[in-house]
Amino acid sequence: MPTFMRSRLANGINLFIHPTVKFKTILVQLIFHRALKEDDVTESSLLPSVLQRGSGNYPNRMAIANRLEELYGTELMSGVTKKGERLMVTFTLDLVHDQYLPGESSLLKKALEVLSDVVTNPVLAGESFKEDYVSQEKEQHEKLIKGLINDKIAYSVERCLQHMCEHEPFGVFKFGSVERLKAIDGPALYHYYRDFLRESRADLHISGDVDAAAVSALAQQVFGFERGEEAALAATTVQKKMGDVRYVKEELDVSQGKLVLGYRTRVTYADDDYFPLLVYNGILGSFPHSKLFQNVREKASLAYYTYSRLEKHKGLMLISSGIEVNNYEKALEIINQQLSDMTQGDFTKEDLENTRSGLRNQFLVEEDSQGSVINRVLDGMMVGREENTAELLNRLAAVTREDVARVAANVYLDTVYFLTKRGGA
Amino acid sequence: MVRILENQLLNEKVYVQQIAPGLEVFVLPKKGYVKKYVTYAANFGSIDSRFIVDGEDKELSVPDGVAHFLEHKLFEDEDGNVFDRFARLGASSNAFTNFNNTAYLFSCTDYFTECLDLLLDFVQTPYFTTESVDKEKGIIEQEIRMYEDNPQWRIFFNLLAAMYQEHPVRVDIAGTVESIRQIDKDVLYKCYRTFYHPSNMALFVVGDVDPGRVLAQVEANLSKRNYKELGEIKRIYPGEPAEIGKDFVRQELVVSQPLLNLGFKERDLGYQGERLFKKELATNLMLDVVFGSSSKLYNELYEEGLIDDEFDAGYVAEQDYGHTILGGETVDPDRLLERLTAGIKEAQAKGISEKQFEHYRRKAMGEFLKSFNSLEFIANNFLAYHFRQINFFTYLDVLQSVTLTDVNSRLHQHLVQDSMVRSLILPKKG
Repeated sequence: MPTFMRSRLANGINLFIHPTVKFKTILVQLIFHRALKEDDVTESSLLPSVLQRGSGNYPNRMAIANRLEELYGTELMSGVTKKGERLMVTFTLDLVHDQYLPGESSLLKKALEVLSDVVTNPVLAGESFKEDYVSQEKEQHEKLIKGLINDKIAYSVERCLQHMCEHEPFGVFKFGSVERLKAIDGPALYHYYRDFLRESRADLHISGDVDAAAVSALAQQVFGFERGEEAALAATTVQKKMGDVRYVKEELDVSQGKLVLGYRTRVTYADDDYFPLLVYNGILGSFPHSKLFQNVREKASLAYYTYSRLEKHKGLMLISSGIEVNNYEKALEIINQQLSDMTQGDFTKEDLENTRSGLRNQFLVEEDSQGSVINRVLDGMMVGREENTAELLNRLAAVTREDVARVAANVYLDTVYFLTKRGGA
Repeated sequence: MVRILENQLLNEKVYVQQIAPGLEVFVLPKKGYVKKYVTYAANFGSIDSRFIVDGEDKELSVPDGVAHFLEHKLFEDEDGNVFDRFARLGASSNAFTNFNNTAYLFSCTDYFTECLDLLLDFVQTPYFTTESVDKEKGIIEQEIRMYEDNPQWRIFFNLLAAMYQEHPVRVDIAGTVESIRQIDKDVLYKCYRTFYHPSNMALFVVGDVDPGRVLAQVEANLSKRNYKELGEIKRIYPGEPAEIGKDFVRQELVVSQPLLNLGFKERDLGYQGERLFKKELATNLMLDVVFGSSSKLYNELYEEGLIDDEFDAGYVAEQDYGHTILGGETVDPDRLLERLTAGIKEAQAKGISEKQFEHYRRKAMGEFLKSFNSLEFIANNFLAYHFRQINFFTYLDVLQSVTLTDVNSRLHQHLVQDSMVRSLILPKKG
């Protein structure tokens, strides 16, 4: 049984209301779904920044910031994330519930009006965005694209994925490319924006101590803008055919090497085998009691961080670790050994049960975060999985050793990426 | 005796009791939350590097990074790894060390009682062997190497090392690869005996729990341990000159564009409690007016492409040190420095208006209320402020007591040219 209410605004936006009395805040997320494509992603990741430069009622950045501060430090944020082969373009409002603010009674309405103005009522010059807003945000966006290298952990993971999924949409970088950015101007982006608003699947989530009927009416009133037919979204491709392992080395002038291994799991969140896979990943590397932490870090002292994680919509698993460059072979060998132990079923009952308890804890605490609750619904909607916490826990409880062995047999190594010292190993 | 701290506006209560031999315990019941979060912290951080061990008369000077090393090693005892025992209870455990404190924590949904005992037990049971200490060196060395490649981390510690001449806040919390090699089990035991007595520690419990039961459980756990009363801890901090050490420091790293940070060294030191809190809030309000995202300066710099939306300014207030750090990535650090310096002068000439002051105070109030969703935020802040003799619940009251005059005087007295340090990271060539 879902714990939210779902409806549809007249213009086709999906409205999700998550009533809860637990929090001091109301969290609003307006999420646009785009197919992840090289010729779309630069525009869709640049667009929110241009919109946040000014709107009809708040014509510049300063005016928007000033209004949000008046609303008791309400935050308006935007961002893009990849979920499988979709790009989620998200606008978020985080505001205090006005029951904690003496003399204030319509903060949500005021905040939603700012969001709506920013998203649907931009500052225009004819059939174009204001040209200096676009050129300035293009500069900022170029810095964002180039800035990936500043965080060596994120950089190495992204580079591994780019190599691994070179010929798949998933290999596209979420901020797009400098090359495509150069071709964008005010009129072109405005044209893109009009299609974006009209045809992108859009979800509006509102979480907090709200009256569902009143909030529905409010959403309908504030987000009543006209839209057209939604563009179809292709399903994420899941590669299942095993080929030769690809080895990539990149040299930079760094102090620590970063070893990233990319695996295909052949299983996604749409499959019921996702739950055994979650357990598999937990035993292998997502906890301090996991094999990677115990063997790479605690026994061999090779790393400070070493973990595995799943990309649940694309059917991938990544292992990431920071090591001394001379220890590349040693670390790789230990990691390979853990994978092969998993395939052999070489893990204890305690490993299995500790992992199950840890995952149970993770499912449960999602309910303590408004953002996590929304994200779970979003993930579920993408694959037609509408399970609440109790149902997810039942799935988890049902996972057997045999189930884990079955998914283990399907995991295979695709790419080994190593960021190493210049002239190093 | 149980005291109750209450905040009407927040609609939250904290139950406080000092439990023999002197542990301050706080319990904040959060109805409806599934998670329970507990942190057990020692008033011992990286700056506590010189002190006198109880029963000795000579000062001990420990290698840099000891507090952090000790944090790592407490997770191991005779029966192995503590992480595993939390895992069995479905809980997750962790710890962190900063300049002033070391905190051990867990979060759980089930088996709260077992988890709480486990936390209290493992922190109160040091077990260090030569072998396990040596093994940890490889791990911490990789932690240090990781930070060596992190531009934000480097620009920050480079700045502090330039700003301070003597005070140990100028040294990396984790120490260096060389300094940690000097650490052995004896020095860990000495630190443990000096700083891990319950009267130098505090415990914070938050979640849907019964305060009476929690307090009784902690009392039962502590009472069986035969603690002696702790004498005074003699910490030795070197005298820090008012002047900055160096006004400029730079480093080259593999980055896409330069980073510039400006630091301002505090001269008005020596406070604890409400007075320290008020200084902190007044200074942060001032910084928000001058550099915040709705300020004229910020928006001009943004439009000129000199800063991005990660640009930030913040103030740190401790009894014997304090500083403001502001900055971020920039294409042109010289031009940004020029513009920031001019912007500060202009703000000082104009002063902060009543209207600006009220506007930012309202924003600060909203931000404080919002942060009370996070159990981690509540517990971590409550203890960090507690060790500075501050009741975190008084935030809104202290914020109300700040005056326009306070904020303006911080603008004039704190942001002064000769207490300013520049820290720069430049892209490595080739």
